[in-house]
Amino acid sequence: MARIEIKSEITGTVWKLMKQPGDQVEAGDTLIVIESMKMEIPVITEDGGTLKEILVKEKDPVAEGQVVAVIDG
Amino acid sequence: MSWKAEIEEIHRRRRLAEQCGGPDAVARHHAEGKLTIRERINALLDPGSFQEVGQLAGKATHDADGKLTGFMPAPYVAGIGKIDDRLVAVGGEDYTIKGGAGFGGQRRKGGQGGFIEDLACLYRIPLINLVDGVGGSVESITRRGHSTFPGAGPDGFERSVELMGMVPVVSAVMGTAAGGPSGRAILSHWTVMVKNHSQIFAAGPPVVERALGVKVTKEELGGHRMAVDTAGTIDNSAEDEADCLRQIRRFLSYLPSNVWELPPRAPCDDPADRCEDALADIVPRSPRQPYDMRKLIEMVVDRGSLFEIQPTFGRAVITSLARMNGMVVGVIASNPMFGGVVEVKAARKQTHFTELCDSFNIPLIYFVDVPGFQIGMEAEAAGILRIGMQGRYLNMQLSVPVYTVVVRKCYGMAGGSTIDRSGLNFKIAWPSAEWGSLPIEGGVKAAFRREIEAAEDSVAKEAKIEAEIRRMTSPFLTAEAFGVEDLIDPRETRPYLCAFLEAAAVGMKTRVGPKFRTGVRP
Repeated sequence: MARIEIKSEITGTVWKLMKQPGDQVEAGDTLIVIESMKMEIPVITEDGGTLKEILVKEKDPVAEGQVVAVIDG
Repeated sequence: MSWKAEIEEIHRRRRLAEQCGGPDAVARHHAEGKLTIRERINALLDPGSFQEVGQLAGKATHDADGKLTGFMPAPYVAGIGKIDDRLVAVGGEDYTIKGGAGFGGQRRKGGQGGFIEDLACLYRIPLINLVDGVGGSVESITRRGHSTFPGAGPDGFERSVELMGMVPVVSAVMGTAAGGPSGRAILSHWTVMVKNHSQIFAAGPPVVERALGVKVTKEELGGHRMAVDTAGTIDNSAEDEADCLRQIRRFLSYLPSNVWELPPRAPCDDPADRCEDALADIVPRSPRQPYDMRKLIEMVVDRGSLFEIQPTFGRAVITSLARMNGMVVGVIASNPMFGGVVEVKAARKQTHFTELCDSFNIPLIYFVDVPGFQIGMEAEAAGILRIGMQGRYLNMQLSVPVYTVVVRKCYGMAGGSTIDRSGLNFKIAWPSAEWGSLPIEGGVKAAFRREIEAAEDSVAKEAKIEAEIRRMTSPFLTAEAFGVEDLIDPRETRPYLCAFLEAAAVGMKTRVGPKFRTGVRP
């Protein structure tokens, strides 16, 4: 089992959590939606596996490069 | 044959040169996952096309009778060859010989000016530098008995700079480059480095530690994550050396041999009249929703023809070479996944790519979805206005045809930097397009502040004014005023652009040659 860190590609605010820890995810799934520059930008995983942790909650500020979720791939 | 002995000696020395730094040095090089310079050149060029120059250059030792007792080839290999049957000049350091450092000959073969750069200039053919050298060393002081003035050797960068306005120059960083070789690499139209095997920096970790007391690794200071992704010092990364050499071949396939020629047109079996239905729905109705701009571009350009430059840097803008019905184009597109907001990195990348295309007679197509420049403290601290306006300045000096396809948003200073005021100013809108000096949200609050504050219900008042103004922003109204040159069915984008590219191609040969740009870019 590999620990895969999912990072936000942009700076913004967490708008919506789309998945919960324990969910099975596939490559291409949206895990979290971040609001930035008046847009809803998806945080998409490139890897499949089990979503282990979501490290942010709604309304949290997020910086570019910040790890926001961990997948067991 | 009266010169038999000398002729045999020539062939013997050529065989010696082909051994590079000797079997042990070559084995060590291979063990690090690297090819020798001769192997790289052979892999890069069309098979059997390499014509080398200067194999006999090097340091020789002789016995009392003048016979050769030892020979160390010059640590640089150069010559001409072909890529896709087109002539190119190529050179690179031989790291297996003294780390590719100079051998003090009367003339340089290449690497910083030198024979092969003179050849590329005078023959008007592309130059490829396979950079793998360590540059200057304090050891040269003991060797020469005096210190050398920086940049004042037999060749400086004057020829390298001259080449930038004449022929495509590509540099691949294939080892650790610092000093002279790192400077040489930067004076190129496009650069690539090999992940985990190459680094580039102004000075390496020992110098940094001595000067700043900070310990960093080579990879942290100048590996691809820094040089390509963070700083944009180098344009693209390659997975390994084979990928690096393939990318060089691919990049050059889009460019003419020099600025006096048009880019080579490829045969095309992708119909120019292909209309993809998915283009009608790819832009979401909500302006808050992003979409995949690369997917959009792929539906318009020739299938499989995209070659993205700087994909990991300044990601709010996508810059890509491509083809339309076989004709080379430069695509500049907003990336809605980053809001399309132009910050300094994206602005820098856009300006450089624009200049590359204009210099080599490559028409430009913008796919626009930009709300504006980045705003706020971070953007101002980075100098967004200055960096942004450098691009606008260049746009007024272009000679290639430009097509502005407004996909969605086109606002403000960044939006204005996607139109071709110095040319035809050809704006082609999709029904999803919207434009203005600034977006209506926020703009209404600023322009109608007194009215809104005076109202009983200011929120409702602001919403009412917004709705009234929004009705007047339909692209149909602007099209009626001929404020945009056309409003098209998105599915027609490919045939529409192909038709006009074909027409523009007629006159392009009257605008070839070095592009003279005057004035000081702010």
